[in-house]
Amino acid sequence: MNNRIRELRARHNMTQDDLARKVNVRRETIVFLEKNKYNPSLRLAYDIAKVFGITIEEVFLFESET
Amino acid sequence: MKRSVLVFLVAGLVLLTSLLWMVNSAGMADLTDTIQFGVIGLLVAFAVFIGFRRLKSERRGEPAEDELSKSILQKTAAFSYYISLYLWVAMIYIKDRVNMDTEQLLGTGILGMAITFALCWLILNFRGMRHE
Repeated sequence: MNNRIRELRARHNMTQDDLARKVNVRRETIVFLEKNKYNPSLRLAYDIAKVFGITIEEVFLFESET
Repeated sequence: MKRSVLVFLVAGLVLLTSLLWMVNSAGMADLTDTIQFGVIGLLVAFAVFIGFRRLKSERRGEPAEDELSKSILQKTAAFSYYISLYLWVAMIYIKDRVNMDTEQLLGTGILGMAITFALCWLILNFRGMRHE
């Protein structure tokens, strides 16, 4: 699963700290998400999408594993 | 804040107990004891590092623990449990072949468990939880 968090964060002129505080996680979690080293819970994915004002599918790009 | 302070409290207690042990065995400590003191020192340093990480997050207005740190901790606990089982089997094998008294053997086993936990945590923190 890939995501557009870094791109969306830059577009909204937001630092990793800002986004972390808005979705109530540690900054390291945002770093891991941007590096695709962590798949977030549905709750966190929803909160991130809500911060950017778009849907989960627009932030997280699901790829078929087959 | 309370959980961050708890880490420092536990690290302090471990250090205090080790210092008492060191003072009581002054002049009698052999190579195994010296190595164990060193490893305890490293583990206390690791706990202090974790405590400072949590404090830093809290000062930035972030939670000390979140879903990623909790899942890393859970996976670390599971991994280190399995590895510790093998460690104790190895300790039972070593027991009859190495000249160590029971206290040293138990101490080495407990330290081995703590080292296993610290290493698993470091690896998972570096590798991430991509396919969870």
